[in-house]
Amino acid sequence: MSETMNIEDYLAQGGVLSAPGNVPARYRGELLRLMASFVDSELAASAGFADAINFAPGIKERIAASRITLEKADHAGRVLAVMGEFGTDMARYEAQHDWAARVARNADLGTARIGGDMRLSVLHYPITGWTDAVVLNVLQGLATGVQMTELTRVSYGPLADVFREIAPREARHAELGLEGLAQITATAEGREAARAALAYWRPRVEAGFGSLASARFDTLARFGLRHQTNQALLARWQDVANEKLAAFGL
Amino acid sequence: MARFHPLKVTEVRRETRDAVVLTLAPRDEDRALFDFTQGQYLTFRRDFDGEELRRSYSICAGLDEGCLKVGIKRVDGGAFSTWANENLAPGDEIEAMPPMGRFFTPIEEASAKQYLGFAGGSGITPVLSIIKTVLAREPRSQFTLVYANRQINTIMFREELDDLKNEYLGRFSVIHVLEQEGQEIDLFTGRIDAEKMTALFQHWLDADSIDTAFICGPEPMMLAIAGSLKEHSLTDAQIKFELFASSQPGKAKTRAVSRDAIAPGAGTAATVTLDGATRSFEMARQGETILDAAIANNMDAPYSCKAGVCSTCRCKVVEGEVEMAINHALEDYEVRAGYVLSCQAYPVSHRVVVTYDE
Repeated sequence: MSETMNIEDYLAQGGVLSAPGNVPARYRGELLRLMASFVDSELAASAGFADAINFAPGIKERIAASRITLEKADHAGRVLAVMGEFGTDMARYEAQHDWAARVARNADLGTARIGGDMRLSVLHYPITGWTDAVVLNVLQGLATGVQMTELTRVSYGPLADVFREIAPREARHAELGLEGLAQITATAEGREAARAALAYWRPRVEAGFGSLASARFDTLARFGLRHQTNQALLARWQDVANEKLAAFGL
Repeated sequence: MARFHPLKVTEVRRETRDAVVLTLAPRDEDRALFDFTQGQYLTFRRDFDGEELRRSYSICAGLDEGCLKVGIKRVDGGAFSTWANENLAPGDEIEAMPPMGRFFTPIEEASAKQYLGFAGGSGITPVLSIIKTVLAREPRSQFTLVYANRQINTIMFREELDDLKNEYLGRFSVIHVLEQEGQEIDLFTGRIDAEKMTALFQHWLDADSIDTAFICGPEPMMLAIAGSLKEHSLTDAQIKFELFASSQPGKAKTRAVSRDAIAPGAGTAATVTLDGATRSFEMARQGETILDAAIANNMDAPYSCKAGVCSTCRCKVVEGEVEMAINHALEDYEVRAGYVLSCQAYPVSHRVVVTYDE
């Protein structure tokens, strides 16, 4: 069985790559970009959630926020280790940005990244309190759940494996958010505060699904790094979010 | 950054006419670095006429063999594999990076799993490591190997596989599929394609009982097998791939360097290729990187950290000269081959031609 085929054809037909040594140059660039975006987002999310620990009203909530802070950093580390196999200087990368830095609450970033910091734009905004933290975690957690359906089947096998390990724990973070939201919305006052936070975060999380007419998508799809369009993912997130929020009368 | 360490060749065993198995020993101080997991690979490097070649070969030893072994099949025109087959002798040293790769599932002594392995040609090497380790360390698990080769005398590890069958009676079985030799059962002759997979599942393999499948071989075989496994309801998580690199990154050729000195401050004519499309534009010679210039000219060039750390923006200079301000990601051999971090690259010649596609 020495017959081989062009690597681009192999990928277009759903092939899986397994080592830095067998990825083509353009694939390498897009794969690293995808990983960097995830790592930066997880580090920024972890840094942002660290503050939420002290907003927590009780021990259980404090533990939930701590767990999210811890595990998001751990997930960043796991994906960064895959980047390291491509030559990324991991120690320098971790310290590359101030992951806790936030813009003003009323700033408008749209979908833009800031400089070389590839975190999702929503993770540049500051969290102002416990309800605010829980609502962001619910919305972004559900968004991550939708994104994971893509990430767990990327064509770079070692990375897909890492995402498959991460996915259930990320799903648990969203569940912790929903448990928190159930507590908050038990009172009319809480529901009101949750509505205000939703109005703030929803468009910002939505922006994280990226441009709906992404020219890059075709390239990524050909490489097996993406399967569904931003539009389809956004629609799914809206459905899931609407359904979950409706259960709390939101 | 992973570093290379010398390994001593302690044995060279001829496995088939065009394949050898090397036994390798790290220095005492490197021993822990070379602890491996079944299914991992080693990356070697060697200079051939001033050009550094790197090649990865899977470890074929089981965890309990207490040594490192790799099988290297000679590829026509392959400088490294030919050298390994014809020149390496016991006592020689060869440089390797510590083991890498994720082509394995964790060993659980108590579990009783059904593994299915597919190997094409020298793709047997990591699968053999997994087979030996699983049989020794998971006493209740079973392994079925489907092994494709051109003809009987090119089968690597044929005897070793036979010995394993006898040693682990009832727990290990092998189906040899030979491309060019007729066998008693027609099904076992030819290539492994979608049709043959369907037939294998009809008569020989029970898809429902499989916990994990390992595939290592050339691209068309991997596609055919993965497609068939998914049709038989195996999930992505149950299928482990190791692409038997037919197209390992080519020779790290040193590029021709043209150095035409130019007056500071003059502009540079830049030509950038991305996704097969080439664009030419004037760019500043100071204060603007190749990456920024490409982006300013509406090219969707990849980047992330913009600090010379992550290597997302790597491109290759094919003509002209650039200078990198910072490089924490590319190794010397990549730089010698013309690769630069475009976020850190400033042109220093009148004309510069770069590509993100190579």
